[in-house]
Amino acid sequence: MGVIGNWFKERLPLSGVDLAELTNEPVPNHMRRWWWCLGGTPAYLFVVQIITGILLAMYYQPSPETAFESIERITNEVSFGWYIRSVHKWAATLMIAAVVLHQMRIYFTAAYRKPREINWMIGMCLLLCTLLLGFTGYSLVFEQLSYWGVTVASNICDTVPVVGGTIKQMLLGGESYNENTIPRFFILHAAVLPTLMVILIGLHIAILRLQGISELQFEDEPEAGPKHFDFFPDHLYTELIVGLVLMILLSVLATLYPAGIGTHADPLTTPEHIKPEWFFYPSFLWLKWFPGTFAVLSSGFIVFVMFVWPFIDAMIVKVTKYKDFYVWVGIAGVFMLVGMTLWEALH
Amino acid sequence: MTTEAEKKTVSCPVDGNNSDGKDRRSFIARFSGLWMGLGLASGYGFFATIIARFLYPSSQSSSKNKSWQFVTDLGSIQQGDSLTFISPAGDKAVITRMNMKGDETDFIALSSVCPHLGCQVHWESNNNRFFCPCHGGAFDPKGEPTAGPPKAAGQSLPKFTLKVENDLLYIQAKTKSLV
Repeated sequence: MGVIGNWFKERLPLSGVDLAELTNEPVPNHMRRWWWCLGGTPAYLFVVQIITGILLAMYYQPSPETAFESIERITNEVSFGWYIRSVHKWAATLMIAAVVLHQMRIYFTAAYRKPREINWMIGMCLLLCTLLLGFTGYSLVFEQLSYWGVTVASNICDTVPVVGGTIKQMLLGGESYNENTIPRFFILHAAVLPTLMVILIGLHIAILRLQGISELQFEDEPEAGPKHFDFFPDHLYTELIVGLVLMILLSVLATLYPAGIGTHADPLTTPEHIKPEWFFYPSFLWLKWFPGTFAVLSSGFIVFVMFVWPFIDAMIVKVTKYKDFYVWVGIAGVFMLVGMTLWEALH
Repeated sequence: MTTEAEKKTVSCPVDGNNSDGKDRRSFIARFSGLWMGLGLASGYGFFATIIARFLYPSSQSSSKNKSWQFVTDLGSIQQGDSLTFISPAGDKAVITRMNMKGDETDFIALSSVCPHLGCQVHWESNNNRFFCPCHGGAFDPKGEPTAGPPKAAGQSLPKFTLKVENDLLYIQAKTKSLV
């Protein structure tokens, strides 16, 4: 080791062995398979979003007069602006997909059961924050979809009894879309929600470390032998490979399908064909099927049931003595979500 | 040699070994803790109220005031014709003439804002209806719901009040405060 190496060693007395000891969380064998690393995937994509988001904020101007033009400038004039914006958009899409898949994996392996109920609820908060980040993100473009999306969302808030009107006014900064609206959505998108996400991710990982990862036994795995491997460096390498593959995937998607820009927002004309982003298709269809207040309150009820599902499941198991009821509920839920998404995509 | 009273004084719980002293001390600790907690809660509560008031838009920015606004003279709009009126506050109304009696009952002025979730409806002449592209709401020419979520909820297109004075048509719509 050279002089510089020694200099660092004296001030940062860490070695690979020390790091392995510091991070020696025993990782269950099933996580050697990369497709079980879906929890780390959204975390990696969140870091991509923070970096690309900071870069985009250098040029983005959050006001109704300038937002659309500044995004046009980022897309068409700024060097590699199209790339940074497209990576930001695709990483958002992949992040939502990864969070949903991660939640499905947790659900179908019943990893939310005692003692992991609180971490499931934190995960639900993370899912909602991710969806809100997606929504507030495309609201900032000030294209037609942005304007009408915000209008519909604020009126959805308005249908909530008692507090709805206040929430709507605080969200918009007025009775309807006005000059305060985009700055509020920008602050939510770029400061409030990411900060909340960082806190929630920290809690999520801390609880995961305290409780350990739920363990799965595969049929092709030998019963005997070690059931865990080290986090450092084995699992870190797996995550690095996942990160590398994601970066390649993001670059390919951003290059082949760069983020476009729609028509400038027009408060007096709702376009003939308007749909939200794909991750809101089920709620969009729900709003078409049912009248306003019922649709909103029933959606809220479904989200509430998802929040407290670990406790509902425990009660069902206690009463019926049947442990696999959750699987049938899950299959029904996935069929409904996928079916509604496909239905809306194809119509 | 010490008296009984002096003995009692000597055994007084300076170090807190006596159970009376412990109780007193824990009572004071709990009592003061409770008050400090209440103080903190009310302090932060007050701070939260200030934040909420800050975020809630002031009433000055709202446009609740309505006034009569000139639309057109009666001669320029014939039976079956319609025109679009946009108020200074941004309200959009579609005004259609149904009769030729010469008063406000000749006209119907419908808001183009869908009562479901606030998108703009547009007129489909081939279907003889107003249609909302957001969630598929539809309304007949009088603004009554015929399909989609507005029909399920019984929501009509909001109507504006009209008046005719000296053969001039006026509409009552929101004005925008300049201060």
